[in-house]
Amino acid sequence: MSISNELVNRYPWLPSLKKYYNDIGEKPPVEFIAEIFNSPDNHQIAERVLNIFKAAFDNLEEIPNYQIDNLNVYVYLLLKIILYALNNKLITNRIANLYSKNAYSDMERENNESDIYEISHDLGLKINYYDPPIEYGLKIVKDHREPRRTNFTIHYIDYLRLASNLRDEYRKLTNNTLINGFVFVQNKTLIRLIQEYVRNKLLIEETDDKASLKAFIKEVSRIQGFKDLYDKILSLWVERKEDFDFTFKIDIKSKEELLTLYPPCVLEVLKKAEEGQNLAHHERLYIVWFLLALEYPVENVINIFSTLPDFDREQTTYQVEYAKRKNYTPYQCSTLKSLGLCMAEKYKDELCLTGYGSKDPTERKLLKHPLAYVRIKQYRTEKEEEYLKNLAKRKLEEPKNQND
Amino acid sequence: MTDLIYLKRLFQAYYQEERESIPIVNSLNLREFGFIPWEKKVFMKRHMKFETPDELKDNIIQNAPKHLYSSGSLYMLPDAKEMENKKYLGCDLIIDIDVDHFYTPCKNNHDLWVCKECGNKGSGMPDKCPKCKASKFSKLNWVCDDCLDIAKKEIKKLIYDFLIPDFGINEKDMKIAFSGHRGYHLKIEGDELRSLNSDERREIVDYLTGNNISFELLGLIERSKEIHGLSKENLGWSQKIMRKVEEFLSKPKTEIERILLDDKRFNFSQNYVSSFLNYKDDFLELIKKGERNVWAIEGFGLIMWKKFLKEIVKQVGVELDEPVSIDIHRLIRYPGSLHGKTGFKVQEINMNELEDFNPLDEPNERIDPIVFKTEKNLSYKLEITEMEVPMTKIKGAKYGPYVKGEKIEVPHHIAVFLLCKEVAKLI
Ligand code: SF4
Ligand SMILES: [Zn+2]
Ligand SMILES: [Zn+2]
Repeated sequence: MSISNELVNRYPWLPSLKKYYNDIGEKPPVEFIAEIFNSPDNHQIAERVLNIFKAAFDNLEEIPNYQIDNLNVYVYLLLKIILYALNNKLITNRIANLYSKNAYSDMERENNESDIYEISHDLGLKINYYDPPIEYGLKIVKDHREPRRTNFTIHYIDYLRLASNLRDEYRKLTNNTLINGFVFVQNKTLIRLIQEYVRNKLLIEETDDKASLKAFIKEVSRIQGFKDLYDKILSLWVERKEDFDFTFKIDIKSKEELLTLYPPCVLEVLKKAEEGQNLAHHERLYIVWFLLALEYPVENVINIFSTLPDFDREQTTYQVEYAKRKNYTPYQCSTLKSLGLCMAEKYKDELCLTGYGSKDPTERKLLKHPLAYVRIKQYRTEKEEEYLKNLAKRKLEEPKNQND
Repeated sequence: MTDLIYLKRLFQAYYQEERESIPIVNSLNLREFGFIPWEKKVFMKRHMKFETPDELKDNIIQNAPKHLYSSGSLYMLPDAKEMENKKYLGCDLIIDIDVDHFYTPCKNNHDLWVCKECGNKGSGMPDKCPKCKASKFSKLNWVCDDCLDIAKKEIKKLIYDFLIPDFGINEKDMKIAFSGHRGYHLKIEGDELRSLNSDERREIVDYLTGNNISFELLGLIERSKEIHGLSKENLGWSQKIMRKVEEFLSKPKTEIERILLDDKRFNFSQNYVSSFLNYKDDFLELIKKGERNVWAIEGFGLIMWKKFLKEIVKQVGVELDEPVSIDIHRLIRYPGSLHGKTGFKVQEINMNELEDFNPLDEPNERIDPIVFKTEKNLSYKLEITEMEVPMTKIKGAKYGPYVKGEKIEVPHHIAVFLLCKEVAKLI
């Protein structure tokens, strides 16, 4: 069975691209770029690529005016070459997230099972397609029983490859139905797995070989059209770079201040979010509860997640608002340690590692709660002793209720 | 001749004699090997490789190591000193079930500990010294039929409740071995599995153990003050859990009560136990019918239900040593080698032999891990050097318990066992 040309144009990351566009696949990138910028479509293509970068820098969740035609393939390939040339992890992550999310939305909108099957097949995923759908359970609400059905099962190895990096609980293998080597997946989940494939495909490793990268850029920069586009993207980036720093600073004025006030366990999660990496379930809960406890506005907390590959604004808003109402206390240090989220060692943080209070190392108290970290850092300007006297009263260390 | 040299020569003679029957792992030349020698204070010798079976056998016979390991992983350069330079190719999936890592009731009879902080001593498997709360012990763990039976149950559960029905793994792709001490290893070879990274392996481990399961996602929810539970209709863990619950509820009332109160099991307080028992028959009825799923036990909120389900999950899941399956650079005991702490053989067995396999009293000579049996009723004289030595039952006969200074006369395999355990010396 051969996948249609139309699907390849629509989803140029499909392996079958090579079959339809054998000629471009074989070409060295420089030659390919030269060809693009000599073609009558060169403005179109450059415009579309720029559009994707703009959308990514604006932190949009979909590419505006996204078009599906045969130029799409060139846009995709050029995009990849530019990412390689930029060699910037932050940008690559953003583009990979945006582009893959866009693919997700598109597939979801189309919601065409046979297309999804063909796509999966083209990607080499071992899947089974059931028509009519196969039953694998029951949903009971009150006295109403509704069977759970799906069109697809996917082999667990393929499932793990694509899902183990998605930290949500509901994608954990344990929480899914696995029979005879195949995981039962809803169409939406399968599309989400495909999104992860697309994302990985765009995540080109940063290269260490700076010399050949430089040589490459020098060579392609001779092509005027490319140079113009590349420079435009770079200057956009320089302009926007600032906003990429934590966008939720309120009374914290600078990034430096934030870096000194927040404990390593928080910084680590923020860093991951900023880089657009997937966050584990506990990491999400922790950062939400932590920032809400410091009275960050809900809106700002939500925005932290906007960079994540599976960001869903509606759902996140609901969850953050719910957490706000419930007034959860963030995890304490011991919990964070057992979850593997304590970063005291990694950051070699003195306060976390050696504690506070007396100068005598045997008398020092170890931190029990990351919120105490912030307070201690804030009060360090005061005399530490004075602060400690008040400590008992403030009861900073005692969480209100436990949520672990 | 010291006892260690005696044992080393014994191992050496064994390997020499059994040269032809030493098993050869597949992709031998791509595996890293490690030895632990008999000499005290010498650590493991790692990063060795062998190109051919003969090269390996020569080396084993020459060195007769106390412990012999090979990697689950395949490398282009298994003898490179740094992991990054080994050129990793992939790793078999290995599952280790070892009584050392989980609780069995009989440990109270045969596992001894002494607190390194305060000298307090006792038996069993405490997390902390009951006296000074320190968690450093010197331990003396003993082999025991009951423990080995429990380990076997776990490995059967692993194979027949999980690997075959859920993962669809073929019997012929699984290799089982008795570890030579208190457990079993199971190895699955296959190109697809070999390519999994540690995160992906962790997902498999979580599936097998039920760790990090989300009851909410399986359907447990509180809606308008009612608790809605799981349904056995839902294939996967829901069904596994509900079957276990059904099985549990079908036990006699007194037994349910005992298990609910047991601090190593559910550890419920008396109030909860009473209200559970009141409702138990209705609950069983409800599950059997499977029409509604409102679980209404007096006083049971989400938290209690989760506590209940957690314990059920523990019984459904497999007790395995997680790091062994997750860490791709581990070395595991080489099949057919001798375990230096017992003198028993790491014995590979076929799937169809598992059911009847009895490591401490195996009638089938071909798969008997006790290799140093006495010929002609020859006995060996030993003096006990450890304060207390638990009773040992091997080949149907009981030896001990012993105390320090006791002089004993035992058959060869028992002598080897006690010497390997380092609780006695030759006299
Ligand atoms: S010690 Fe506490 S505050 Fe510091 S990194 Fe660890 S968990 Fe965070
Ligand atoms: Zn003690
Ligand atoms: Zn036992």
